[in-house]
Amino acid sequence: MQIKKDEVVWLLLFIAPTIILFFLFFIIPILFLFVTSFTNWDGISAEFVGLENYTKLFNKKSFVRAITNNLYWCLTAALITVPLALIIALLLAHRSRGWKVFRTVLFIPQVVSSAAIAMLWAAMFNAEYGLVNFLLDYIGFSDYKNHNWLGNVRTANAALIGFSLCYVGYFMVIMLAKTAGISEDYYDAANIDGASQFQKDLHITAPLIKSTFFLCIILAVIFNLRQFEYVYLMTAGGPANKTQVLVVYIWNELSVQRLGRGNAAGVIMIAIGAILLLSLRKLLKSETYN
Amino acid sequence: MQRDLSSNFYFIFKWVIIISFVFYAVFPFLWLVLASLKTNAELLDDPFKLPAVFQFQNYSNAIREAGLGKLIINSLVISTSATFLNILFSSMCAFAIARHTFWGKNVLFLMITAGILVPLNALIIPYFAIINFLNLYDTRLGLILVYCAVGLPVSTFILTEFFKSIPKEIEEASFLDGCNFAARYFRIMLPLALPGLATAGTFQFILCWNEFIYAMLLTSSTDIRTIQFGISYFTNQFFSDYVGMFAAVVISILPSITVFVLFQERVINGLTAGSVKG
Repeated sequence: MQIKKDEVVWLLLFIAPTIILFFLFFIIPILFLFVTSFTNWDGISAEFVGLENYTKLFNKKSFVRAITNNLYWCLTAALITVPLALIIALLLAHRSRGWKVFRTVLFIPQVVSSAAIAMLWAAMFNAEYGLVNFLLDYIGFSDYKNHNWLGNVRTANAALIGFSLCYVGYFMVIMLAKTAGISEDYYDAANIDGASQFQKDLHITAPLIKSTFFLCIILAVIFNLRQFEYVYLMTAGGPANKTQVLVVYIWNELSVQRLGRGNAAGVIMIAIGAILLLSLRKLLKSETYN
Repeated sequence: MQRDLSSNFYFIFKWVIIISFVFYAVFPFLWLVLASLKTNAELLDDPFKLPAVFQFQNYSNAIREAGLGKLIINSLVISTSATFLNILFSSMCAFAIARHTFWGKNVLFLMITAGILVPLNALIIPYFAIINFLNLYDTRLGLILVYCAVGLPVSTFILTEFFKSIPKEIEEASFLDGCNFAARYFRIMLPLALPGLATAGTFQFILCWNEFIYAMLLTSSTDIRTIQFGISYFTNQFFSDYVGMFAAVVISILPSITVFVLFQERVINGLTAGSVKG
């Protein structure tokens, strides 16, 4: 609808709150992040130090470790969680008896807060009473009795990233929703040709939800780049910085008042996110049209 | 015959996968509930054995010890206010964008929705500084503002798409009848957009309810602490009383799961809406 002259004030009033909040919590923080990342700002005073924060960060083993760990999280989600979610979505897409129950149940971890999930899985991995060790002992891996999964340098990362598979339900639901829109005609035609269920899944359903599959990969990468709670609450980045991730690193810089350095880490994080998103988009776009 | 064999195999494969993941997603919760009803001594025993006596007092202990009542009320107040403001602001903006043409409209929409892709946790230090600058550190209002703001891109996106799907004729008729801008929004569009508002509202509420890092960043006093931030204190509060801690975690999880099971379709729509359309 074309705006009448006397309604311009109303229009401005309607978009003002969103624009103000958007500036206050998106635009200004990003500019602020960028500018202060070249200073030694400690909350009280700030001096321009050029690229010092960045060179110091990249010379820190724990920071490089944080980046690689974030990339591990992203890779695990993109290469394992999302493909597994696709398989489950394809299986539930037949809408056979009880599919809704399975969908609901698999979605539960998504509605529970990550803080609670972190506590739950910290208990699962506990050396004394955790269920994980008990089950391993039960099926014959008795070496793992009293093994401290999250406290051990060798297993902490694997345990953390491994449990994140429980989020498979979220991506499954997104892809499952997409299959609802597929016309029955395709399947009828395939039935006449005598296709098996597996062939129908592979040659009809899977290609038709390809774009949603790629979308899930992008979402998974964003989520895992900004993830914080599990690492912070379950291992706090330890043992020996083995499980460090970017946001926990920034948090630690904040708690020792090295705000400029922390913001430089934030700039690097946003840059990594942008690079990952752009390259994924390019990669997946060429995939979709070929 | 060949076909039967392979479809049988497919059938088995399907159920093995689904059931193992159901196991993975739900079993830890069941274990937690069972463990929360044991004594600390029984906890070290066989995890599948039922407790000799169900220790329901773990729950009353947990509520008292962790002050769960207060934590939950704080979370409710903060999440509800932030959701209300978020939906009000984003629907007003979405109405302006979806139903009118004005200069800079497309840029505005693109800019706001691009906010969805920013990894906001990179901005914790600037957020800390801004909230301190506004003198809102350790206040409910500060947390409400941040929650309201970080959800704006998603809800503006969902609601703009929704408003666009409502037929123009109704609004045009009211326009000819002399309804002004605000009246068209409040009297005509809002009632028609209720399903969209509910979807965006559910998303926003769950986001606020489950949020952890900003609560830790921007509040310190126990008076306004939210339940999710409160969880991180359980380990200290309960020290070696593991079963008490489990009971507290169960109570903190219960509201989300109950709401989810009651309003499944709405919650699933809400949590996936932004992504499916995008």
